[in-house]
Amino acid sequence: MTDTHLKWYPIAASDDLAPRHVFDAQLLGQEIAAWRADDGFANVWENRCLHRGVRLSIGINDGSELKCQYHGWRYSNRSANCTYIPAHPADAPARTVCNRKYTTREKYGLVWTAIESSGDVPPISLLDDTAHMPLRAMPMNASAALVEEMLKGASFKRDDNDRWSGLTAETDSSGAILFNGIATFNLVFFVQPVDSTRSVVRGVATGISDGDIDELRHLNACLSVLRRAIETRAAHQKRADPIAPVYTQVDAELATMPDRSDTGAVGHRVRVAHKTMTANDTARFELVGLGEELPTGQAGAHIDVHLPNGLIRQYSLTNGPTETDSYVIGVKREPGSTGGSQCLHDTVREGDILMVSAPRNNFPLRRDAVRSVFVAGGIGITPLLSMAKTIENQRLDYDLHYFVRDDDHVAFAEQIAALSGNVTLHKGLSVENTGKALRDIYQGPANANHTYICGPGPMLDAARTAAAECGWREDAVHFEYFKNTNEVDASSSFEIALARSGRTLQVNAGETVLDVLRTNGISIASCCSQGACGTCKVAVIEGDVDHQDVHLTDSEKRQNAFIMTCVSRAKSNRLVLDI
Amino acid sequence: MKLYDFELSGNCYKIRMFLNILGVEYERHPIDFFPGNEHKSAAFLAINPLGQLPVLDHGGFQLRDAQAILSYLAAKYDSGGTWYPASDPERLGEVNQWMAFGDMITVTSSAARLHDGLSYRQIDVEAARNGAHRLFRILDEHLWFAEHEGRTWICQGDEPTIADIACFPYIMLSLEGGISLQDYPAIRRWTDRVKRIPGFIAMSGIFAAGPGLGVA
Repeated sequence: MTDTHLKWYPIAASDDLAPRHVFDAQLLGQEIAAWRADDGFANVWENRCLHRGVRLSIGINDGSELKCQYHGWRYSNRSANCTYIPAHPADAPARTVCNRKYTTREKYGLVWTAIESSGDVPPISLLDDTAHMPLRAMPMNASAALVEEMLKGASFKRDDNDRWSGLTAETDSSGAILFNGIATFNLVFFVQPVDSTRSVVRGVATGISDGDIDELRHLNACLSVLRRAIETRAAHQKRADPIAPVYTQVDAELATMPDRSDTGAVGHRVRVAHKTMTANDTARFELVGLGEELPTGQAGAHIDVHLPNGLIRQYSLTNGPTETDSYVIGVKREPGSTGGSQCLHDTVREGDILMVSAPRNNFPLRRDAVRSVFVAGGIGITPLLSMAKTIENQRLDYDLHYFVRDDDHVAFAEQIAALSGNVTLHKGLSVENTGKALRDIYQGPANANHTYICGPGPMLDAARTAAAECGWREDAVHFEYFKNTNEVDASSSFEIALARSGRTLQVNAGETVLDVLRTNGISIASCCSQGACGTCKVAVIEGDVDHQDVHLTDSEKRQNAFIMTCVSRAKSNRLVLDI
Repeated sequence: MKLYDFELSGNCYKIRMFLNILGVEYERHPIDFFPGNEHKSAAFLAINPLGQLPVLDHGGFQLRDAQAILSYLAAKYDSGGTWYPASDPERLGEVNQWMAFGDMITVTSSAARLHDGLSYRQIDVEAARNGAHRLFRILDEHLWFAEHEGRTWICQGDEPTIADIACFPYIMLSLEGGISLQDYPAIRRWTDRVKRIPGFIAMSGIFAAGPGLGVA
């Protein structure tokens, strides 16, 4: 790292970052892809996809994600987290897959960055509090040192009476070259070192506006004259070696296989920015990061919320791909609440600080389906709303069916109204009519159609049954239960052999596999503790599993490849686990 | 209508793209430019003595030169008269000026690509690259001021013209000849706009753009 790496440089004009465009830049030999999301945020990233190193500047800016042109990896606005890998459409990318991004500011009509950020863009008093206009940037085939030297001797006047006459150059402490002129007419130049033999002169003028095309053309012509002189001189100089780009090693966390104990539970402190009622029994919480950027949740993801009363509860994110600056959850007040929803409704207020986990996704969304059918019951709308927004953003076909008791129970009504897909509300249906409606929904399954179901257990069971009866393939039916209402039978006792660590442990009646693992010092992530969420899933190498969870599909259960260690047990005397 | 065509030729591609934009049906007659050198065969020299692609054959009427073919197709099939504005002398002049500029891009950028990609070792690649950079500086300046004067395309007017089509392919393919577009941000933004013209098609090395902002 050198001093120049700590320094702020402009790498583009703000209006260079046009909507749905990826700007190609370079600073001190580092190639940069810069793109503006539809929310206005300017992303400045290393110009290479984490996957195969292809330049992201040839990728696609869809307004909320940048898609690599090569294998379609998608990276989120702001966080640069990878949100989707098309080759693994049914899996959620690990949250650690994150592009190298540079700190960015927009100031004086320019986009600024530093290789290693520190502090802020140095203020230029000539430009503060004055209307200013960036000039057309002038790339030059010469070193920054030569450009700076000759720029100081540049002239911008047409004649002695010109507004640009009588300017004398000085260099300020930040290295900016200032031409302090008469009245309001000033010129400030910054030299962006692209490489050892290439630079870009970025000028900002005061006293002129965007409409002063003649002045912009005049100043551009002066810079062109200067460029000819500089490049003539540079051609006679010894060519310096190119600046070697410095590639930051990926985090150890990303470079190694995730540890089994990686719970994704890294804490983030969030503030309750807004708490509003979105249905008569459901509160909407908007949680914003405290000074730090929140990792991006993928569609279907949930977070653990640590409540003031000590409980930890899981809530699905409703965020779509364009909503990356907060987490939005919906919390239904449960009449039989054991303190979770009750605490959020009654105790937690706007302005309160909560601890939440990083998003975790056990309900991933494929983005390669010809058609996606979302079926929500009640508060089960939350993950499906996130999915519908994601699929809509990618301009794929979907249907959203939302089963509710009545109008008063429609949560997130405004956001649902803003969707442009086929949205159907099913209000106040009896059990029988719900079944009928579900069979209508699932008529005519087709290849590459996928359905996602979330809602109360009985409704979810009915939807899965209807889909199966209508001929949907089991692997096209994805679901997430809130809770496991089956009674867990913990009466068996058996042995577990841990293949990787070479240990054998005994699980007695009344103990869970998870308890035994933890008692013996083996850290396993878990979440709901009732076989619904899928967090504590472990691979099974040998043995017959007594599945008691509601996370795996029936065929997954038959395959015996995984066990939910919080509730499931063994039918055989021994299970060999991949731990 | 028959197009004597080579898949990897930017000049053939601009005709294929324009035919697609106009919605005109045609038949592709592939010529093995590389490695077969078929464009220098006696049979093809009888069709075009210059030994160059593309050639259009429309019911026996044969036309060579990509820019000439663009103007023929526009005059024949563009009922709106926007692609080749024959009734507007100023715009017509501009279109022809920038189509000639497109030819200069072919001579420089395409030559560098032939050198790097298809082993045309006789080409002075440094001269070709320098020539392309000189042209790109001129076009980038032109397009930057166009943006600031509220124009979208190379020529005046609200609609794209065949000058945009003529200049586009060998700008997009320039990196294959070692010519980076990093110094030409206004050109890069304009290439996104060309890619969003309804009927745009891709070719090897030229990808489609995503949807623009506010486009349904």
